[in-house]
Amino acid sequence: MLENEANPTISKSTGLPRKRFYRARAHSNPLSDSHFPVPISPSHVDFSLHYPQFSSEVSCIKKVQFADIGCGFGGLLISLSTFSPETLMIGMELRDKVAEYVKERILALRATNPGQYQNVSVVRTNSMKYIPNYFEKGQLTKMFFLFPDPHFKEKNHRRRVISPHLLDEYAHVLEVGGIIYTITDVEELGEWMKTCLDNHPMFEALTEQELQADPAVKLLSTATEEGQKVARNGGQTFQAVYKRIALSLIHNGTLRLLKPDH
Amino acid sequence: MENTQPEGGENNRDLEVAPALISVHPTQDSVAVAVGSDLRVFDLRGNCAVTLVDETGEAFHKDSIRAIRYGANGKLFVSSGDDKLVKVWSTDSWRCIASVCSEKRVSAVAVSNDGLYVCYADKFGVVWVVDLHGLDGNETLVNKKASPLLAHYCSIITSLEFSPDGRFIVTADRDFKIRVTVFPKKPLDGAHEIQSFCLGHTEFVSCLAFLFTVDYPQGFLVSGGGDSTVRLWDINPGTLLDTCEFGSKAGIVDYKGNEVSCSTVTDLCTIPGSNVVAVAVQSLQGILLVSCDLSSQTFGAVKVISNMGDSFIPTSLGCSSSAELLWTITGVSKTSRF
Repeated sequence: MLENEANPTISKSTGLPRKRFYRARAHSNPLSDSHFPVPISPSHVDFSLHYPQFSSEVSCIKKVQFADIGCGFGGLLISLSTFSPETLMIGMELRDKVAEYVKERILALRATNPGQYQNVSVVRTNSMKYIPNYFEKGQLTKMFFLFPDPHFKEKNHRRRVISPHLLDEYAHVLEVGGIIYTITDVEELGEWMKTCLDNHPMFEALTEQELQADPAVKLLSTATEEGQKVARNGGQTFQAVYKRIALSLIHNGTLRLLKPDH
Repeated sequence: MENTQPEGGENNRDLEVAPALISVHPTQDSVAVAVGSDLRVFDLRGNCAVTLVDETGEAFHKDSIRAIRYGANGKLFVSSGDDKLVKVWSTDSWRCIASVCSEKRVSAVAVSNDGLYVCYADKFGVVWVVDLHGLDGNETLVNKKASPLLAHYCSIITSLEFSPDGRFIVTADRDFKIRVTVFPKKPLDGAHEIQSFCLGHTEFVSCLAFLFTVDYPQGFLVSGGGDSTVRLWDINPGTLLDTCEFGSKAGIVDYKGNEVSCSTVTDLCTIPGSNVVAVAVQSLQGILLVSCDLSSQTFGAVKVISNMGDSFIPTSLGCSSSAELLWTITGVSKTSRF
């Protein structure tokens, strides 16, 4: 339990961690070899530690279905938790202090709201390298990439979290019909992400109707601290929401769908 | 057992050295050896050395060769390495028929079973594919462009193999991962469909090979790594079938005679048509033969072959389809001449 008197990082009034004790730079180098434990494979991850209330069902029946890649301070996860209380979801964050903040935030919310927020957790890891270590083939139904690092310089474009090669891995862990949500306030990055997704044979853009019908889409610009900051400053956001489809080939001018091998 | 041992020089620890490599023609027509930037081929039928002809702009290799292999039932030979050139040779004329420029140094090569595509992996973890359609051995294709096929994010790819049925391409990296990807009909558009990940190694994966027989034509994947294990996999679901921890069994000792607990697998070679895998291990003066029970999908006995001469630590292994001989080589390059 949290010791509010002894621990100044937790606010006495709300029981929530104070951001100013978890300050971190916005940028983190995904190429540097940080020292955090990496699971050998998805079966080696003890998800019952993340979701104690579901521990009897986890890894037998229930699996993590939503993943927030680069979850930052956890804004989206907290909103998603009550939006979909029966779904297990996890955030992945590279920065140590920020991941720690999210962990404390979730623990505090669980304490002050009994029965709630049991379905959300966070793990500190480099999602660009280790997503296959956490999730099995076709496990996820939603993947979120909110306000990713733009890596402006052309030579750094390969460090972008949405890229043609990494989309292969995201397609692998998403089930057919699963959705990938991306949003940014940097126009060039928005164009880049949209182009990468358009060019990938296993992703197809959601139609206007599908976008209207999906309640998670609204959360993209409103649920995170970053999104709220952009709204406050009157900035514009660029979103790209795509559906994972079975691999398709244009063969002699006709669209031919191939069933994925399972 | 036949050994070839070129005069390996003392390796200067300050220089980057490349281990000697050997590759054997599938029907044992010839054997190729690479040490440093030197590539030598010996014609076993004619019992004479082969003169390589390279009339592409950049003749032969200027820096350490890191990967060599025969492909397409022995009709092609590929060599590549630190000089960022991937050279494809015709084994009939021993002419270099294609020379491809890579942006980065190359760490592994493979040829598709039908001989139409050559794939190579660079130090940034990207696997590239070169289309060889239309090559007939007489013309030379220079400035052939490669297309990116797939990538392991920021990880050095140590080994590249096609499955025996040609459906999959398997890539292993230094971040303990093995990825199995469907090799598409149009590889130049990229290989996007991942079949599975074979996860289980607790250290970098150093080499891959397929074990297959007439009864098991699709075969099983065998991998070796820095965690002193050889592992057996079913690549379709990406399941680990069995692990062979050979460390204690081999009784490996270092140069001082002390027992070494952890030894990296430096090369693997499956003996075609059999259920035996030959393993070269760092610091082991000899090789290991690991048998495999394909019906129960488990490893069996491990035999150590150590009467190969003093200080003979194989750096590379090769075997032909007839499986009569296992070829081993040792030595490292010094600088330009060994």
